[in-house]
Amino acid sequence: MAPIASPFHSARWFAELVARASADQSAMERLGIAEIRLGLEIVDANGPPHMYGIVLDGYDIESLGEVMEKEFAPEVVVSGPADAWQEMISSIEANGSADAAHTLNSLTITGLPFSVRAGDAMGHDKFFRYMGTLQAIFDAAGTPATVSTGR
Amino acid sequence: MALGLDLDYLERSARGEFDLGWLRNGHSEWGVHAKPSKTGLTMRDIAIGSYGEVPDHAPRRTMAPRGSDVDPDVPDLGYTINDKAEVWSDNLLDLYEEAVSRQWSATRDIPWGDLPELDPDIEHAMCQLATVLSEVEMVAADFPAKWLWRINHDFVEAKMFLCTQVMDEARHTEVFRKRALANGGGLGRSSAVVERFLQLILDAESYDEGSALMHLLGEGIVLSLFRAGEFLSPSPVEKKIFRLCMQDEARHVAYGTMHLRYRLDRDPSIAEDFHAYLDKGEEIIAMIFATPEIVEPTAILAAGGVEQASELGTAAGEVMRHQIIGEYLKRCQHAGLDRRGRLHLPEVLIQGVPGAMPEAMA
Repeated sequence: MAPIASPFHSARWFAELVARASADQSAMERLGIAEIRLGLEIVDANGPPHMYGIVLDGYDIESLGEVMEKEFAPEVVVSGPADAWQEMISSIEANGSADAAHTLNSLTITGLPFSVRAGDAMGHDKFFRYMGTLQAIFDAAGTPATVSTGR
Repeated sequence: MALGLDLDYLERSARGEFDLGWLRNGHSEWGVHAKPSKTGLTMRDIAIGSYGEVPDHAPRRTMAPRGSDVDPDVPDLGYTINDKAEVWSDNLLDLYEEAVSRQWSATRDIPWGDLPELDPDIEHAMCQLATVLSEVEMVAADFPAKWLWRINHDFVEAKMFLCTQVMDEARHTEVFRKRALANGGGLGRSSAVVERFLQLILDAESYDEGSALMHLLGEGIVLSLFRAGEFLSPSPVEKKIFRLCMQDEARHVAYGTMHLRYRLDRDPSIAEDFHAYLDKGEEIIAMIFATPEIVEPTAILAAGGVEQASELGTAAGEVMRHQIIGEYLKRCQHAGLDRRGRLHLPEVLIQGVPGAMPEAMA
């Protein structure tokens, strides 16, 4: 399985991730509809953080590239240091999907290394409502041209 | 009312003399054309014209579809929930579609054949957790089922969503029962404290009371348990179980939170009633936090064994407890019911949780 060619993190990397996840439309349809504006914030050791926007709308997934949080208005933001993001991606690339220590839920549940923030409780809970879909999208980093249904 | 067979009509219709009143005198919105959106023809797509208008108070108590022409002789079916605010939420139509779309199968979608043999203590802990979850999940089917037939048919979208919840909870009961029986451990112990909380929900005197206790308090806690379960799972099989259950549970909590908000928006004077319901519920929840059958398996799974559980597991339990209480407070606040500073939980449980201590309101 070839890793995504573009460097992580970059708008092209997320665009390629979403393209891979969207490639198997029937798999996404089996996961079910989802409606969320998700911000993925990568905090570099030096310099300002970068946020990438992903929008789930029904069965469609759209990568908006690098976004400004205020303009993008995400319902929920997953934020963490760049090396933790890189470790998660490397784990997915190595195993084909996230291993036990590197699922989105595992990485966010204690607030470390990733934190989850939202403007309100409903936005926060959407992260859990669509966890299977969101995990499948990231797992696509390890599965070229197709996506596990997560089921 | 006697039904009375219309023998004259039988004779007339046999001669080909139709009544056609339903055809000639109907008041349907002829020409109504609901248009499918990108995921298909959704409940929101058909909420158009007069058919999309949900009355604040149902004008009659029948099963007649809202918007249909109703025979004046229809019987009274005795619904007791006839005000929209008692069951409605602004996200109801979307949650129903989401629920239908995101169904899964505990038989097909879990790779049962991949369950690894586990250390006996871990297997026992997993099975004890599965026992508790198999026990508590069914109340979230029993409660809606108890009230469904009392909800006026004019609020059919609410009834439909609650039907999806019944199916979700049946599947959760199924999947945890299957997990307990699939890998050598078997079912564990059922505790009286848990049963008392379930009794409180089932015996609720109103849908308001039961929904606050179940959708907001109980399912909020179970959602956190599912998150913890995914994190602590000893194998990818359990991880998948918890992830799928988590999605369903979050949907139910989303209904409960937004339903309470809808209810309080329309009648803020009943906020104290809801505080009283939650006061009672939290007192039992406090006991659940001190129930070995729940606390200890979680600690053992977190620590990776009994030996390490007293240290690592206790710390993990504290993190989880803070998360449960913190998220519960935020949901209450979003619903318009500020529980900060008035939780009915002992100080030892809420220390360190932002906004939980009484001085937070000072």
